[in-house]
Amino acid sequence: MGRIVGIDLGTTNSLVAYADAQDGQPKCIPGPYGSTLCPSVVSIDADGSIVVGEPAKRRLLTQPERTIYSVKRLMGRGAADVQNELKLFPFRIDPTSKNVIRVRLGEKVFTPPAISALILRELRNWAEAFFGDAVDRAVITVPAYFDDAQRQATKDAGKIAGLEVLRLVNEPTAAALAYGLHEKQRGRVAVYDLGGGTFDISVLKLISTSEGEIYQVLSTNGDTHLGGDDIDNLLQAFVHEQILQHDQIDFSPQGELAQELRRVLINVKHQLSEAKTAMLRFALPNGKVFTREFTRGALEALIRPVVERTMGPVKKALADAQLRPSDMDEVVLVGGATRTPLIRRTVQEYFDRKPHTELNPDEVVALGAAVQANILDRGVKNMLLLDVTPLSLGIETYGGAVGKIIPRNSTIPASAQELYTTGVDNQTGIDIHVLQGERELAKDCRSLARFTLKVPPAPAGLPRVEVKFLIDANGILQVGAKDLRTGEQHSIEVQPSYGISDAEIERMLEESIEYAEQDFAERQLIEARTEAESILTATAKALANPQSASLSVEERASIDASVAALKGCAAGSDYKLVRKRIDDLNHATEHLAELLMSSAVSTALEGRKLAEV
Amino acid sequence: MSTVPTSAEAPLVCWNCHERTLGPHFCSSCGKLLQLPQGVDYFALFEMPRQLWIDRSSLEQKFLQLSWKLHPDKFVNASEQERELSLRRSSELNDAYRTLSEPVARVEYLLAIEGERKEGEKKQQAPPELLEEVFELNESLDELREAKASGEDLAELKARLEAAEKSFQEKLAEVDGELQAAAREWDAALEADRATRKKIMARLNELLNRRSYIRNLVTNVAKELAEV
Repeated sequence: MGRIVGIDLGTTNSLVAYADAQDGQPKCIPGPYGSTLCPSVVSIDADGSIVVGEPAKRRLLTQPERTIYSVKRLMGRGAADVQNELKLFPFRIDPTSKNVIRVRLGEKVFTPPAISALILRELRNWAEAFFGDAVDRAVITVPAYFDDAQRQATKDAGKIAGLEVLRLVNEPTAAALAYGLHEKQRGRVAVYDLGGGTFDISVLKLISTSEGEIYQVLSTNGDTHLGGDDIDNLLQAFVHEQILQHDQIDFSPQGELAQELRRVLINVKHQLSEAKTAMLRFALPNGKVFTREFTRGALEALIRPVVERTMGPVKKALADAQLRPSDMDEVVLVGGATRTPLIRRTVQEYFDRKPHTELNPDEVVALGAAVQANILDRGVKNMLLLDVTPLSLGIETYGGAVGKIIPRNSTIPASAQELYTTGVDNQTGIDIHVLQGERELAKDCRSLARFTLKVPPAPAGLPRVEVKFLIDANGILQVGAKDLRTGEQHSIEVQPSYGISDAEIERMLEESIEYAEQDFAERQLIEARTEAESILTATAKALANPQSASLSVEERASIDASVAALKGCAAGSDYKLVRKRIDDLNHATEHLAELLMSSAVSTALEGRKLAEV
Repeated sequence: MSTVPTSAEAPLVCWNCHERTLGPHFCSSCGKLLQLPQGVDYFALFEMPRQLWIDRSSLEQKFLQLSWKLHPDKFVNASEQERELSLRRSSELNDAYRTLSEPVARVEYLLAIEGERKEGEKKQQAPPELLEEVFELNESLDELREAKASGEDLAELKARLEAAEKSFQEKLAEVDGELQAAAREWDAALEADRATRKKIMARLNELLNRRSYIRNLVTNVAKELAEV
């Protein structure tokens, strides 16, 4: 069996972490660019090769039609759900999209789980490069307020990426785990988690028992369409309007210019977390530069509505836990957006308590996922996590009403049984519609699944079938049925209302193996090209050095030929050829490298390559 | 929630080692997790008599203790059968804790396992002593809706409804008090004969129905008032 990791699959950035084998302390794994943050951006080239993370983020400006970000907002959603999103995001939804969105990137069409799988695969590559060992299992975090379909889509993404998803953990709960371990916190803890696209609030109780520490979630609430993105959208719309009025320039909110403006504005926003004022400079297509000074006060006035929207769920979560703000022993801030001073102040005032920000708010969720991965993998005996289901589970009853069978904030796993019978003689099926949500009418709740319960023909009222609805430890629904007259167990094929079929996942898994090879080749090529560039630069520099005059004519000719050969193939896509030419040039420049070193050290450094001198 | 847990196959014999075992959680011979024995209701799961006054903190202690043993996290590397069992057992434990923690759900559950209350039973007819007040309330609600539609001044109607809401809130508190008294009576009669106990259960059932009726009224009035 390979290694296990914890993954925070975020709207803006994703991270991978592991727990140290010795002391169990979690750590984030850096990627090839040195950062532990992998931008959740995927870009597809014309030749079908895939770029993920930092290089894909750069392509947002140059190839927006082949690049996608914030795909988390589309997970487990239908086309009708995301109409508002589409106004602000350059997503090109394929017209065949219905209950599963299909996104067009260049020539190809992808489901959101398939795109998320590419991000997971990238993180897996980071971890495998770090360990020098295979990674095959993961704990993945999800917003606590994610519904069944969004959770299932996340689990599917893991499967498509070739990972066994041992557990989905709620993001605020993961953060509490990381803090609990770090700070040895006890008592009641509120976790305020504002990520790029989602908001969660969870209230937990940390209990010390003779067996160990229990992290019991008492209640959770949130909004899966509220996040730092909304702050950026407000800023962007505000400045866009100003540019329109001031310079009469209108540009599509989906084009390259809008992406560039967004990038500049996010920078201004970040500056205002530290400084009181920041300057916005934005080059317009008419050659002018739009300049504005922003004060922190003006920014706060603009974003206050977003911050206030988070307080509704906070109050509901406390009410459900039957606690007051002053009952909290600790408050923890999670998510990059909580660096915003207005948010820190608002939370501090509400709870009358200075919130914890000691752990990096970008990393803390991934760290917690690694802790849970460690608990599951190594069978850590002295920690236990008891989480809840964020939304009530219900069944549609007569007249389109919903009968709640598992209330929100029930500790999971949780289950409920319903007894069904027939209304007419020889009826062979009973239609069941399962929903999630707090509203009273089925049309206002989220449809999870519809299925027909098969019953053998019999007089009306005689069949007695017990249906068991079970929410597992991942917050995902399972359904089973039992005929009470025969004792026979029925398996129920539940086709989720918003989800991809197992057959489609299998197909995507096969496709992703092809991609995996392309991925690998692509990475090798990028690395080889970078190395080629550096050795070519070093060679040119060395040849300009007077010492190179001592080279023999044959040596000089061999170097020139190798340089030409490398230049000739570096633009191509055969990384093995580029590697070979690099080796050739290294070989040809061995004497040159020696010449460049003082004779005193040259013996010690014999055999060194030119690029290393 | 007032449903009875699915009856499990009688596990007098361990599914794994086929030895006879006492349970109720793990096989006394091979130590494997067992199915919940038949007849083990939520009270028995927590090893307490079918009484209605429950000490919350000892219930919580017991819940946490059992969670350590039964939670799926403890069975991640076990066989598929054991993982399945753990999922089932820990969901039963959570269902039991949720039901017993909540005083009204606890009474409903007790009546259900004693066979005195059918699933989903909620009489929606107004209790006779409330008929007059309910009639007045419905009239006020109708007037409020009409007034809202025609844009009339709502202040007087609103005040009337708020008074009614308060009155029903008081009645709800009254029913809760009576329910508590009846629950104490039940606990005192744990050893009494069936007829006495049946009588108390009939009373509990009636109080539950009344409570549910009044609660619906209060919710409806509050909803209408919130929209004013």
